[in-house]
Amino acid sequence: MDGTIRKPGAAKSADEGSDEELMVAFSRGSRDAFDELFLRYKQPLFGFFRRRVADAAQAEELTQESFIAVIRASSRYQPSALFRTYLYAIGLKILGAHRRKAAFRACFTGTPDAYREPAALGDLETEYSLRQAVGKLDRLEREILLLREFEQLSYAEIGELLHLPVNTVRSRLFRARQALHGLLAAPAPSSSVEQARIEERS
Amino acid sequence: MNTAAAHPVAPEEIMAFFDGELSAADAQAVAVHLDGCSACASLAAQFRGLSQSLAGWSVSPVSQKLEEAVNNFADKAVVKSEGRIPYAPFRFSIWNWRLWAFGGMSAVAGVLLLVCIVFLRIYYEDRPAQKPMAMAQLSRNNGEVAAGYPPPQPAKSQMYNSLAVPSRMTTRAPGGGGASTGAGFGVIGGMVGDLSGKTVAPMIARAASLTITVKDLTAARVSLDTMLARHHGYSAQLTVESAAHAPRSLTASLRIPASDLSNAIGDLKTLGRVEKESQSGEDVSQQHADLAERLKTARVTEERFRGILQQRTGNISDVLEVEESIARVRGEIESMEAEQTGLEHRVDFATVDLQINEEFKEEINSPLASFSPRLHNAFVAGYRNAAETVVGIFLFLVEYGLSILIWIAIVVFPTIFIWRRYEKARSTM
Repeated sequence: MDGTIRKPGAAKSADEGSDEELMVAFSRGSRDAFDELFLRYKQPLFGFFRRRVADAAQAEELTQESFIAVIRASSRYQPSALFRTYLYAIGLKILGAHRRKAAFRACFTGTPDAYREPAALGDLETEYSLRQAVGKLDRLEREILLLREFEQLSYAEIGELLHLPVNTVRSRLFRARQALHGLLAAPAPSSSVEQARIEERS
Repeated sequence: MNTAAAHPVAPEEIMAFFDGELSAADAQAVAVHLDGCSACASLAAQFRGLSQSLAGWSVSPVSQKLEEAVNNFADKAVVKSEGRIPYAPFRFSIWNWRLWAFGGMSAVAGVLLLVCIVFLRIYYEDRPAQKPMAMAQLSRNNGEVAAGYPPPQPAKSQMYNSLAVPSRMTTRAPGGGGASTGAGFGVIGGMVGDLSGKTVAPMIARAASLTITVKDLTAARVSLDTMLARHHGYSAQLTVESAAHAPRSLTASLRIPASDLSNAIGDLKTLGRVEKESQSGEDVSQQHADLAERLKTARVTEERFRGILQQRTGNISDVLEVEESIARVRGEIESMEAEQTGLEHRVDFATVDLQINEEFKEEINSPLASFSPRLHNAFVAGYRNAAETVVGIFLFLVEYGLSILIWIAIVVFPTIFIWRRYEKARSTM
């Protein structure tokens, strides 16, 4: 398991260059620069999607799509903002498009994918409980919480990504944490993983 | 965290402190407060515990397949374009809302195009039959026979039979001896000629238009009447307008004997300053000849029917049928005679469209004098408009309300249903 929470950009050594420098180098044709960026962000970006999409295969597909979008748009890249913010902005757009498509599909085909695949069966019960509890949060608050807790973005970066003032980000994050604390503190009705398996069988 | 007095540090600030989002000074203040406040320290511990709980939500490593796919794409992009990576083509998916929107708009555009094509076809199906007639009429107006567009009436040579030519169409050439017999006509350059080489004077319906500005309209009106009497003309239509705060004007359609038209126009010009003048002439010779020929044929037909009625015997239904035919032909003959008379009248009497405008000098009048009645009228008009609007809306609803409800049931409710399902599905993701 490589699910550690750390800032990818902060973990690099001094001689590796910043994310932005690497992206500029890649836009000029440096293949090695992209390798380094991919190495830094493949796992965080996959985690970004994996925690928001129930299906692991779909999360991988969206991760791949995001990196391909970065490659396609590399010639237009301007290092005016952090690469990390830039990457997650792409990820959010792709995730939004995926959700719209899935919701549109669900209008005609029935239940959305999120219901068909309640959790990664076989995962730990804690993980399932977390996923369920986070899923009950307000959509915006959930997004802010995830960006803060797992992508380790600052309030300002979250505000930039979601087009919100910093104060709003802070208050919404506070509410999200309080709500999640309440949800996690509430006793579970039964074994969640077992319940998920029953749902899956039915 | 009940009051600001008890806790000078807000809960959100404790959270920001925990997230490292405070300035050094603020962070120092919060740290000092946490040391002395168990409630706030408990809140900070809650945040810490929550983060630790969330840290348990691990994610499996990225698969080798993903790495290979991205690296392959990057290889191709870099090799092909040397760092300038082009956009990839559109990825087809039936669940793409843009595709549906584009498809829907294309379908609507296609339907509109189809409607246009059908409409144009229906419209132009009638045109070919009208075009030659219009061209033939145009050529007659120009006094020429247009090649390639023969007149639509059948048996042209018969139509120009001189037996049907009225007195106006008789030859004027010396030795013509009145109506020519058994010769066909041709119309060239405004002159009507028979095949024997004799020419007849064309029938020209003349028309003129005059716009004149006068100083005194009343005096001009008197002069106009005198002038009409002198030239043996008359006024077919005359209108005088005398609106408030506007110049008075007279519009008339005069009929003047064609032979006296030039003199009459000269007299009319003396009424005032001529603003506009135009004259025209329409050659109606061929039209008149056609009419005369059709009239002759109709009369012959009528005579035949009458002969049949007198000489033959048969049952009642046959007799009635012949009588009906006679009545129908008689009606046609009378109609054509009236048309012929009108045509001849147009030739005998030229039409002068006259407009006389009086020079206008606006007078200074206080608007307050007429304010009260205008206000009253405005109220009345406003009330009427409002009432008509209400009645119109009511009638519209009565007339189309049921249809609108049906369309709402057909379109709106399913749309709302789908939209709700869409939103519900989105909220669960």
